[in-house]
Amino acid sequence: MKVLSLYVERDTFIHRLEPITKLLYALISIVITFLFPSITVGAVFVASSLSLAISAKVFKRMILLLNVVLIILLSIVIIQGLFYSKNATPVFKLWGLTFYKEGLLYSLLLIVRVVNMIISFGVLILTTRPSDLVDDLVQKGLSPRFGYVLASVLQIIPQMLSTTSTITDAQRSRGLETEGNLLQRFSAFFALLGPLVLNSLVEARERAMAIEIRGFGVEGKRTFVREIPETKADRWIKVALYVVFTVAVVWRIVLWIM
Amino acid sequence: MDNVSTLSAKISIEHLTYRYPFAKNRSLEDITLSIDAGQSIGIIGRNGAGKSTLCYTLSGLIPRFFHGKIEGSIKIDGEDVPTMSVEKLIRKVGLVLQNPFSQISGAKMTVYEEVAFGLENLGIEKDEMHERIDTVLKQFDLYKKKDKNPFELSGGQLQRLAIASVLALQPEILILDEPTSQLDPCGTTEVFEAISQLKTLGITVIIVEHKFEKLVEYVDKIALLNDGKLVKYDTPEKIFSMPQIEDYGVGQPIYTALCKRMGLKKPNGYYPVSFNETVTLLSGLKMYE
Amino acid sequence: MSDAVIKVDGLWFAYKDNEYVLQDINIQFDNRPTAIVGQNGAGKTTFVKVLKGLLKPSKGDVWISGTNTKETTVAQLSKIIGLVFQNPSDQMFKSKVIDEVMFGPQNIWKDKKDKNFVYEQSIKALRIVELDNKLEEHPYDLTLSERKLLCLASVIAMDPKIIILDEPTIAQDRFSTRKLAEIIKELIKDGKVVLTITHDMDFVAENFERTVIFYQGQVLDDGPTEKVLSNEENVATAHLELPNLVRLAKALDFKTTPLTIDDFVEEFSRCKKAGD
Ligand SMILES: Nc1ncnc2c1ncn2[C@@H]1O[C@H](COP(=O)(O)OP(=O)(O)OP(=O)(O)O)[C@@H](O)[C@H]1O
Ligand SMILES: Nc1ncnc2c1ncn2[C@@H]1O[C@H](COP(=O)(O)OP(=O)(O)OP(=O)(O)O)[C@@H](O)[C@H]1O
Ligand SMILES: [Mg+2]
Ligand SMILES: [Mg+2]
Repeated sequence: MKVLSLYVERDTFIHRLEPITKLLYALISIVITFLFPSITVGAVFVASSLSLAISAKVFKRMILLLNVVLIILLSIVIIQGLFYSKNATPVFKLWGLTFYKEGLLYSLLLIVRVVNMIISFGVLILTTRPSDLVDDLVQKGLSPRFGYVLASVLQIIPQMLSTTSTITDAQRSRGLETEGNLLQRFSAFFALLGPLVLNSLVEARERAMAIEIRGFGVEGKRTFVREIPETKADRWIKVALYVVFTVAVVWRIVLWIM
Repeated sequence: MDNVSTLSAKISIEHLTYRYPFAKNRSLEDITLSIDAGQSIGIIGRNGAGKSTLCYTLSGLIPRFFHGKIEGSIKIDGEDVPTMSVEKLIRKVGLVLQNPFSQISGAKMTVYEEVAFGLENLGIEKDEMHERIDTVLKQFDLYKKKDKNPFELSGGQLQRLAIASVLALQPEILILDEPTSQLDPCGTTEVFEAISQLKTLGITVIIVEHKFEKLVEYVDKIALLNDGKLVKYDTPEKIFSMPQIEDYGVGQPIYTALCKRMGLKKPNGYYPVSFNETVTLLSGLKMYE
Repeated sequence: MSDAVIKVDGLWFAYKDNEYVLQDINIQFDNRPTAIVGQNGAGKTTFVKVLKGLLKPSKGDVWISGTNTKETTVAQLSKIIGLVFQNPSDQMFKSKVIDEVMFGPQNIWKDKKDKNFVYEQSIKALRIVELDNKLEEHPYDLTLSERKLLCLASVIAMDPKIIILDEPTIAQDRFSTRKLAEIIKELIKDGKVVLTITHDMDFVAENFERTVIFYQGQVLDDGPTEKVLSNEENVATAHLELPNLVRLAKALDFKTTPLTIDDFVEEFSRCKKAGD
C-alpha cells in the first residue's frame, strides 16, 4: 500500500503557516489574476507563488505537478496562436501554419493564470497535511461532513494512485504483463480501468462504515487532537492579503467606470 | 482505563431473524439470548454461521448499513437498537471489525491521529484524549509506530490499531469480531488480558473467536451458532462436552480433544477445556496410577 | 541442497531509505512443508513479496528456479510462483468469482488451443476450496473466510511450482483449517513447494516439517519444527508461544516434544508406565 498524500514533509516557515492562510493566498491570487487581463499582473503572482514554493523547499515536486499540465498549456498556445478570434498580426510560420501576435499574447495570459493557479494551490497542498486543512476549516465552522468530502477530494489523486498500484500488483501477480513493451503496457492500462472503478466504490463504502462506527456523524461538540494555531505571522499575512484584495477590487472598479 | 461508568448495559435479543437484501437464505434465524451486564461472552460457529451478522445487528450496522429485513427485537437496556440514535449507540457499543484493513478511517495520516479520530467525534477533552491514546498505544505495543502512516503497518499492527482505536472510546459494550486472527501469540494474549481487565471494570464483552484454548479462559458463556440459529448458549465446558459438537464444524479446544481421546473427564462429569484443568487432571493421573 | 527452488543471498530490503525491514537474509527453500512464523511486523509479508518479485531487493539477490527476480518481470515469474496475499481484498478485482479465478490461467495460457482448458482448470481449483457452488457471485459478497479461499483457488488454478500462503488460516474455522492442511499436503504431494506464513502454532506443530522464525527482519531460527519449537528461549524472544500440546508436555515434565495428539498420548502412557 502506498501512502495517500501529496504532502511533502519539511520544516519551513511556509509549512508552519495556518492552512487557511495558505488557502486564502491561493484564492485571492487566483481571483486577482482573473480580474485583470494583464500578463504583468499574472507574472507577478506567478513569481510570488514560485518564490513561496522555493522557500518551502517543494520546488522539485512543483515541477512534477506542472509537468502534468504541460500538454494542456502547449495546446493552448497552438490553438490560440492559430485561431484566436482577434488574430491580425502574423509573427512567424511553422510548417505552413501562421501564428499571430494577438493569439500568442492571449495564450500567454491564459498560461500565467493557469500556472499561478497550479502553483498557488500546489503550495497549499504540498506543504499542508490534508487532515490539518480539513481540521482547520472544521474548527472555523465548516460542517465535518463537508470537511470529510473535501478531504476525500483532496486525496482523490493519491487515493487513485494507491488503488491503482494495489490492482496492478494483483494483476501482474497473476500473469498480466505490465512491465513489458508499450503495447503490453497500453493493454494493461485498459485492464485496470474496470477494477479501478469497482474497487474504489467498494473502498468508499468500507470507509463510510469504518468512520461511522467510530462516531463520525455524531452531532454536538467536537474536539481536535492537533492544535492548529493562528500565529502572529498568519494574522499579518491575512490582513495584508485582505488589503491587497480590497485594493485590487477597488482599482478594477475604478478602471471599469473610467 | 479510568472514569468508565461501572453501570454497564444489559442486552436482550428476542426471536431475532435477519436476511441480507437479495440473499436467498436468512443469516440469522429466531435467535433469543440475553447477556447480563458485565459478562464476557464468546460467539463461535463455523464459517458462514452468522457470527459477523450478529455483531452487525448488535452494533446497529444492520439496519444502518446493511438493509434487509429484521424481525424480532434487539434491545440494550430496554431500548431498541435499530432505532436508537447514532450518538447514543456509539457511546454504548464499540465494534472491532473482522477485517482490520476495513477499519481505518482514511482521514488521518498517523497512527496517533487515527486513534484520535473517534475521540474527536465524541468531543473528548484534549488532555483526556492524549491520555487515552497513550494508554492504548502502549497497551498494544504500537507506541513506537505512533507517527507512522496507518497504511504502512503490517497486517497484525493494523489489527492492533483497530482494537486500540475502539478501546480508546471506552464503550459500555465491546464487540470484537475475530480480533486476534492476524496477531502473533503474544499479541493474542495481550488482547485477552485487556478483555479481562475490562471485565473488572464492568464492561460487557462479546467476542467471536476460533482460538478456543484462549477463549475458554476468559469468557463466562459461549453462544454456539450454526446456520444462523443459536444451537446452545452455555458455559464452555458444557458446550464442548456436547456429544454432537463435531457436527457443527467448529472443532474444540485441543485439550478437550486430547481428554476425549484419552477418555478422561473432570469429577463433575464434563471434559476439561483449559490448560490448567488439563494439567490438574493429567498430573493427578501420573501420581496415583 | 541442489534441489533448492528458492535461493536468497544476502537480501536486504527497505521501504524507505535506510530503514531496513529485512536484513541480510540467506536462506534456501525446497519441497519440505515449511512454516514461517514471527512477531507482527517481523517482515514476513515483506519477505514473501520480495520472493514473488513484487518488491525488488535493496541489496542481495533472490533466485527462483534459477532465475534472478531482478532480471525478469512479475508476470513472467507468476508462471512458477504464486502468492496468496494476507489481505484478500488486495488480490481481488473481478466482479464474479469464476472470472477472478480464470484471470491468471487466461494470462499464462493465452496461446493454448483448447479453449475449455482454462475453464476446467479454474473449476478444478474452485472445487478444491469448495467454492464451486458460488461461480456467479460477486467476490465482495463473500465472507472474509471465503475470500481467502477464493484467493487460494485463483493461485492454485495457475498451477505454479511454488505456492506461498500469507496467513491462510485468517478467519477460517477449525474445520476449514484442517481442510487447508489437507490442501497443502496434496499440493506437496503433487511436487509443489509450499511456504506458509502463520501465527497458529498448533497448526505449525501438526503440519510442517520445517519451521523458520523471523525476528526483526532476520532469521532467528530455522530447522526441523520439533527442534525449533522446543527452544523456549527463541520462541519467547520472537514473541511467540509454544504450541498448546508442547506447553502441556512441559508442564507435565515430558522429555519429548509432542507435536500431535497421537505423539502426546503415546508419550503419556510411556511416562505412566515408567513412573509405576
Ligand atoms: N453482505 C452480505 N450480503 C448477502 N449475504 C451475506 C452478506 N454477508 C454475509 N452474508 C451471508 O450471511 C451468512 C452469515 O455470514 P456471516 O458473515 O455472519 O458469517 P460468519 O459466521 O461471520 O462467518 P466467518 O466465520 O466466515 O466470518 C453467510 O451465509 C453469508 O454468505
Ligand atoms: N508499505 C510500507 N511502507 C513502509 N513500511 C512498511 C510498509 N509495509 C510494511 N512496513 C513495515 O515493515 C515492517 C514489516 O512489515 P511486514 O508486513 O513484512 O510484517 P509481517 O511480519 O508480515 O507482520 P504481520 O504478522 O503483522 O503481518 C513493519 O514494521 C511495517 O511497519
Ligand atoms: Mg465473520
Ligand atoms: Mg504479514
